[in-house]
Amino acid sequence: MKDNWIKKHIYDIAAYAGLLVTLILFFVFSRNRLLYNATTVIQTAAPYAVLSLGAVFVYSMGFMDVSVGQQVGVYAILIILISNALGGTTFGVFVGFLVVLAIALLCGAFNGAVAVWLGLPSIVTSLFLMFFFTGAQYLLMESTGINSISIQAAIKPSDRNIYTLLLIAVVALTALVVFYLFKFTKLGKYTRAIGANEKTAVQAGVNTTKWKVYAYMAFGATVALGAFLMLTRTGSAGKGTGSGYAMDIMICLILGGMPLSGGMLSKAGSALIGTFTYILLTNDLTTMGVSLNTINFVKAVIFIIIILVTCRKQTNLLPR
Amino acid sequence: MKTRMKRAGAMILAGAMAMSCLGSVSASAAEPKKTVIGVAFYNDSSKPTTATKAYLESLADALNVEFKYTVFTQTDESANLTKIQELISAGAEGIIGTIDLGTTAIVEECEAAGVYYAGYLCDFDTSYQTAYEAVYENPYFLGTISDGHNPDDIVLGTQTFESVMEYNERNPENPLTHMAMIIFPDWAYPAQAKQAEQFVEEIEKYNETAETPITVDPIDAESDVIPFTPLDSTYFSKHPDIDAIASFAAGTSFVYPTMVASGVDGDLKLFTTGFEGGEEENFGSAGKGTFQQNVITAIETVTYPLVLLLNQINGVEFADMPETAERIGCDQIIINSDEDLEKFLVNIYNTGDAAGACWTGEDVLKMTAFGNPDATYADLVEAVTNLTLDNM
Amino acid sequence: MKILKKILLSLAFPALMFLVMLAITASSEKCYVNGHFIFIGKDLINQVLMNSCMTICVALAIWMQLKNGRFDFSGGASMVLAAIAAGYVGKNTGSMWAAFGTALVMGLLLCMLTALVYIIGRVPIIITTIGMTLLYESLTYILFGGEGVRAFYSNPKLCALGRVPGIFLPVGIAMAVFVIYTYFTASGRRAKILANNQSAGVNIGIDERKNTFVSYVFTGIIIGMAAIIYISQNDVTPQSGLSTSSILFSYIVPVFMGTFIGLASNDVIGIAIAAVGMEIMNYGLNCLNLGSGGWQQIIMGVFVLCFYTFSSQSYKINAFLNGLKRKKTA
Repeated sequence: MKDNWIKKHIYDIAAYAGLLVTLILFFVFSRNRLLYNATTVIQTAAPYAVLSLGAVFVYSMGFMDVSVGQQVGVYAILIILISNALGGTTFGVFVGFLVVLAIALLCGAFNGAVAVWLGLPSIVTSLFLMFFFTGAQYLLMESTGINSISIQAAIKPSDRNIYTLLLIAVVALTALVVFYLFKFTKLGKYTRAIGANEKTAVQAGVNTTKWKVYAYMAFGATVALGAFLMLTRTGSAGKGTGSGYAMDIMICLILGGMPLSGGMLSKAGSALIGTFTYILLTNDLTTMGVSLNTINFVKAVIFIIIILVTCRKQTNLLPR
Repeated sequence: MKTRMKRAGAMILAGAMAMSCLGSVSASAAEPKKTVIGVAFYNDSSKPTTATKAYLESLADALNVEFKYTVFTQTDESANLTKIQELISAGAEGIIGTIDLGTTAIVEECEAAGVYYAGYLCDFDTSYQTAYEAVYENPYFLGTISDGHNPDDIVLGTQTFESVMEYNERNPENPLTHMAMIIFPDWAYPAQAKQAEQFVEEIEKYNETAETPITVDPIDAESDVIPFTPLDSTYFSKHPDIDAIASFAAGTSFVYPTMVASGVDGDLKLFTTGFEGGEEENFGSAGKGTFQQNVITAIETVTYPLVLLLNQINGVEFADMPETAERIGCDQIIINSDEDLEKFLVNIYNTGDAAGACWTGEDVLKMTAFGNPDATYADLVEAVTNLTLDNM
Repeated sequence: MKILKKILLSLAFPALMFLVMLAITASSEKCYVNGHFIFIGKDLINQVLMNSCMTICVALAIWMQLKNGRFDFSGGASMVLAAIAAGYVGKNTGSMWAAFGTALVMGLLLCMLTALVYIIGRVPIIITTIGMTLLYESLTYILFGGEGVRAFYSNPKLCALGRVPGIFLPVGIAMAVFVIYTYFTASGRRAKILANNQSAGVNIGIDERKNTFVSYVFTGIIIGMAAIIYISQNDVTPQSGLSTSSILFSYIVPVFMGTFIGLASNDVIGIAIAAVGMEIMNYGLNCLNLGSGGWQQIIMGVFVLCFYTFSSQSYKINAFLNGLKRKKTA
């Protein structure tokens, strides 16, 4: 009985164990910079956590979105441009965020619906959006004539600790909403069903097109929020803002135990566990004195060990 | 069972790795504490990056400093802030930066962590123009030394003109008569457009009395401004009759390779900035003679931010230290003849060997306020701003 | 007659692309300098050939695994690490052939290592290759000086394999290797069975692990060829954060287009022709000063979407055309 429980929850155990180890190392090695490091970790992790939480809906269907990074970049630039045009006021920031949220939801709907209507794999529509947003980011920045634009309005408290607490609150709130939607509503149930077997879901009467659109739109909402959180870090954005986020999110989810093929084993908790494990790992290795050039190597080795432990398949076929 | 054994094995392996890291840290704990200085370069690999690392490492023992290196991105502020946070987490007490991107947030972060920040090979012009108070007036930003002269004190246009004149004097039978120019975008290097203007002005003055005037194609915003990507091969179709290029953008990296790929490296002369190695084979009278001018900044100029950081960390200051952080411009190394090249080839910039550097650790220690009570800020500035080929 | 039709159909894409770009550039003032039309010229052929050869090599390496049902993220990282090794050895020995040999050996070794981890680890291919990408990228900071390789491609003595005509050697080897593996080896034919029905293939006795390993050996050779061209055309810097997957993505469009164009002939020819067509488009955009920056990305995105839509809906178009034919004959 006990053996079965362990077998069933081995992914969760491994993911939690990874987080626990990184946390212990964090406390041991941060020494006199514990508070600084803790705030740093939270500031770095907050945008990733929010994005990963939203990505759970898409990944649980067995899909992925490669346009996230470029979307984050464009949204950050748009918030700055709109709010500055409106006089650098809080109202301007609010309007900017609403505009960005609307675009993000639209892109989500596009990703979900157009792929179905045109009979395309979802990666193709997200590839299109990636190209489109890369171009848009270039053009927006070229129109400003400078390398980096800064927001005029104050978008974060000047007190570092209050800012950190606010970030925690936003992540916690997002997590609660995502957990609720994923666990207790049709959205979570059907996205997992699509990931497990789309044909079966269709035969069971699920309007998969509709739920795909909803899932991508839910992700879109978190992309807009993630872009705003990222913007609060530096208050500025440029041509390369957001680059690499799509892949980082994928790594976070894998570290959190999310099966990339989606399905019923998908869990919203993977996003938080994976994100914090990933960010803490970097911080731990830095504080442990591992050379910055070697950190990537150590991270890669640890990543490979973790996937070999958690993602190994027992079928006689090589998993694709 | 077998699977579980494998999993256990993997976990033991991960544990062993963690323990080995612990061990390495505890071993280093016994050594006397060194000041940790972080350096955030603008790229991973280039002659100046390699040479700067070699130079800094050669100073480490005398100054009791440990250097930690990272690389900034040229386009992502948030990523740069993360790099700074990593350096601070790694124990950096002072940081030298080489790109002005996200500087306001970086300086704010440094202030929050009690870490000092200074610049090298960068004029921090965007911050100078748009965030002077937040950056230059922040007590944790100590100043910067530019890659050559500051944008308000341009000389490279005139210097390039002089190199062209020297070339024409050496080659009276085949002088240069038609040139084009290449620059980086204004948002990144506003000084380059001014350098190009200065070059054109000098040529126009010369043409007033010249027997063989020189035509310079005006800068075309679409084809002559390169966004940090190699020059496109269609450039040569767009400037079909030129016999030389004045590239104020780093031509060794972004222009010359395209010249080679398009097979025009034997037909055109290149007057440019930067030196990546290998240029000597086609410099001046050697090989195809493509390169006729390379301009670089001595890597020993990193001494300026280093000394300022170490003074602050050690709690002492020059008596004549300015109240607000400064950006100082410097003379550059101009290589425009075979003789210049011969002198330059043994320079640390080219060899990456600290034995060829201007100063040793002891020399730099004497420049600091804590190593030499008589040292002054004026002397430091004087030393680092005159590192030309003749003075080194 | 059938062969002629196949040739014409295959050549239709680059020919059409050439005509479209010719029309666009001819109508733009930007493409005339001193009254001279800059789109047509020796440089067009030179650039299109050089860039197409690079694209073909990477596209074949991607397609070799993709057609066997494996989406391999690590191809870009293997290529970059092999390119750095090749550049490092080439610069230190001053020999282009030493660089060529190193690229080949490194390509083989890295692909074989990826295959071994995948086969022994039994972890889904995307996850395995993400792990291997992270590993290879991290090694670019540690091995061969840890600083990448600069100025290899601007040294005329070293970079001949990235220029016309030297470039035809690596691209020729890559194409030959792909054709030999796919059409002339038992392993290639078995791979096709496994790709079509993995379970059935294994059940009839195909050793999938051996088959996968062999396919990676051949992919390794192609990666090696891609690496020598890459280092002969670019500065290569150390990579991190899965940035090499972007390098890979930048060559993926001709893969999918090539498989569609290749329906008229075969996939190798399809990919080669798609690459040429795309490079003609890029050259035209360069003449219009749209070769880099925002508009090129947006045009590329729209192009990708339209092309995929067209290929996914091609059966409807065929049905429509057949319907018209039937009406006519009736």
